Amino acid sequence: MEKVWIAFAAALAVGLPAIATAWAQSRIGAAGAGTLAEKPELTGAIIILVAIPETMVILGFVVAAMILLM
Amino acid sequence: MIIRMAKVEIVGPKQDLLSTLDILHSRGVFQPDPQLLERIELAPADRLQALVLDEHDLRERSFFQGLFDRVTALLDLLPEAVHGTSALQPLPVMDLLDELVDQHLAKARQQALMLSDCRLEVEELQHNLVFWQALEPLLASLPEDSNLELFGITIRDAQQLQALEELLQERTRGRCHISTTTTSDGALIGLIATDREIAVSLRQALTDERVPELPLPDELAGLPLPQRIAALRQHLQAQAASCRQIEADLLALARRWRPIYLRAQAWLEERLTLYRATATAYTSRLCFIIEGWMAEAEVGALCDDLNQAFAGRVVLEQQAILEEDFDRVPVMLRNPGYFAPFQILSSLLPLPKYSSYDPTPMIGLFFPIFFGMILGDIGYGAILLLIGLFLAKRFPPRRLASDIGKVLGVAAIYTILFGFLYGELFGDLGESWLGLHPFWFDRAKDILPMTVFALTVGAVHILLGISLGALADLRRHQPRQALLKLAMLIAVLLMVLALVSWFYPQSWLNTGPLLVGVGILMPVLIAAEGLLAPLELLKTMGNIISYVRIMAIGFSSVLLAVVANRLGGMTGDVMAGILVAGVLHAFNLLLGVFAPTVHALRLHYVEFFSKFLDLGGRRFEPWHKRPS
Repeated sequence: MEKVWIAFAAALAVGLPAIATAWAQSRIGAAGAGTLAEKPELTGAIIILVAIPETMVILGFVVAAMILLM
Repeated sequence: MIIRMAKVEIVGPKQDLLSTLDILHSRGVFQPDPQLLERIELAPADRLQALVLDEHDLRERSFFQGLFDRVTALLDLLPEAVHGTSALQPLPVMDLLDELVDQHLAKARQQALMLSDCRLEVEELQHNLVFWQALEPLLASLPEDSNLELFGITIRDAQQLQALEELLQERTRGRCHISTTTTSDGALIGLIATDREIAVSLRQALTDERVPELPLPDELAGLPLPQRIAALRQHLQAQAASCRQIEADLLALARRWRPIYLRAQAWLEERLTLYRATATAYTSRLCFIIEGWMAEAEVGALCDDLNQAFAGRVVLEQQAILEEDFDRVPVMLRNPGYFAPFQILSSLLPLPKYSSYDPTPMIGLFFPIFFGMILGDIGYGAILLLIGLFLAKRFPPRRLASDIGKVLGVAAIYTILFGFLYGELFGDLGESWLGLHPFWFDRAKDILPMTVFALTVGAVHILLGISLGALADLRRHQPRQALLKLAMLIAVLLMVLALVSWFYPQSWLNTGPLLVGVGILMPVLIAAEGLLAPLELLKTMGNIISYVRIMAIGFSSVLLAVVANRLGGMTGDVMAGILVAGVLHAFNLLLGVFAPTVHALRLHYVEFFSKFLDLGGRRFEPWHKRPS
C-alpha cells in the first residue's frame, strides 16, 4: 500500500506542475503569437519566454524522481 | 567583445564645416552626439549655439531640395528597364538639369497619363471582347429580326439569374428571350433579346435591379450586331498599338536620361544629408564644433584625413570618457573567428551597455557545452555535425545559415564528446550492438548523480556570473556595489557548501559553521540592499536549481531514444523495425535540437546574464554614404 502512495505522490508532484506549465505556456504562447504578428524580429525572445514556465515541470520532475528514489 | 570607443571633438573654421561633414560622411566611422556639447562651458562672448544656416546656404539647400523632389518624381515615372548610373559630375550642370527636369517631367507626366488612359481602355475593350465573343454563338442562333434590341449583361450567380428570369417574364409578359453562357475567364453572362418598343422600360428595370449592362464605346454602339465584334477587335488593336508607342517613347526617354538623373538624385541626396547633418554642429563666432563617438582604433586615420584635407585648420581631439558619459557611449560588438557566429544568439538580447560585457564570448564558451551535456549522444551528434558542416560550406560566410551551421557544428562536437562520456549511440543501441559503455554516467539509470552534476555546473556558472558582476561594478567605479556582489557570492558559496554537507556529510565540511557564516553575512546584505537581500539570495539559489534541467531534458531525450529502439525491436521485422526506430529517432533528433537550444539559451539569458549583464546600450550608427 505504501508503494501506491509513493507512486501517487510522485505522480502528483510532476502532474500538477505539468498542468500549471501548460496553462502558463498557453497564455504566453497566445500573447507571443500576437506579438510576432506585429514584430517578427522578436521570434527568439518569444521562444525563450515560452520556455520559461517549463522550470515548474522540470522541478516537479526532480521532486518526483527524489520521491521515487530516496 | 565591445569595441573600445573614443569621444572626439572636431573644431574648425565655420567655412570648412560642410567639407568636414563631407569627409566624416565618406569615412563612415563617426557618430555625432550633439548632447555632449551642451556640457561645454565657454565665456559669454564665445557662447556656443546651434548652427543656423546663412542666407546663401539656405537658398542653396532650398534649391537642392526642390530639384531633388522633381528628379525623384521624374524617376518614379520613368520605366526601370534601364539600370546603372552615369559617371557625370552633377554640380557643374546643375542649372541645366534644373531646366531640363521640368521639361522631362512635364513630358513624362503627360505620357504617363496617356498610357494610363490607354491601358484602361485596352482593359475595358478586352473585357468587352471576351463578353461579345462568348455571346457570338447565341447571336448566331437568334432569328433574323431587325426589330430586336439586344442587351448584354453580367450575372452574379445562378440565384440572380433565376430572379432575373422572373423579372423579365413579369415586365415583358414573355416578349423577350434570355440566353446565358460562361466567358473564358469564368464569368456568367447573358444576352437578352426583346422588342425595340419595350427596350427602354426593360433597360430601366435592369438598372433598378442593379444588373450591370455591358456598355460599348459610342462609336461601336450604333453598329449592326455582326459588325460589332470585328470593330471591337480593330479598336482594341489600335489602342494596344497606341499603348506600345507611348511605352516606347517613355523607354527612349528613360534610356537617354535615367542614368543621368539617378546620378543627380544620389548626389543631391548626399548634399541634403550634409545640410541635415549641420544640425549636429554648434558654432561660436568664428568656429564650428562637433562632438561624437568613433572606434578608438579609427581616430588616427581620421585625424590624418582631416590634416591632409585642411592643412591643420580642422582639428580632431580625443577626450576622456567621463563617468556621466557611460550611458551615452554607443556600443559596437565585434567578435573574432570562433565567436563571430555566436552573435546570432546574443543578438536576441538587447545590446549591452558600454560599461558592461559582450555576452557573445560567454555564449560561445558555454552554450555548446550545455547543448552537449543535454543531448549527449554520439549518433545524434554525428548527424548534427554533418548538417552543420553542410550549412557552413553551402552558404557564404557571415550569412545566417552559415552561422547556424557553425554553431550547430561546435554544439555537435560537444554532443559527441558527452555521448562518449554517457556511453550513448542512438540511445542504448551502442551498448547492445557495439558494447559501448559509459565512461562517466549512465543517464538512463544514474538520475541522482546526474542531478548533482547539473547542480554543480549551475553553481559554478552562477558564481562566475556574480564574480563578473562584481568586476563590472569595479570597472564602473562603484566599489560599494562590487563589495555587495562579493558578499552575495560568499553567501551563495556558503549556502551551496551547507547543502553539500547536508546531503553528503564530510568530515572536513560542517554544516553549522557554514550556516553561521550565512547568518553573519545576512545583516550586512540587508543593511546594504534592504529587505530584498534575503529574497535575492533565495532567487540565486533558485537560479542554481534551475540548472537541473540539464539532467531532466537529457533524461527525457535518452528515454525517448531507448523507447525508439525497443519499439523498433518489437516489430519482429528488420525493415519495419528500422523504419519505426528511424522515425522515432528523427523525431527525437528534432526535439534534441530545439529543446537543448532553447533551454541552454534560457540558462544564459535568465540565470547567468541576470547576474552581471547590464542591457540597454545604444547601437553605434555612424554617418555613412549610401552604397552606390
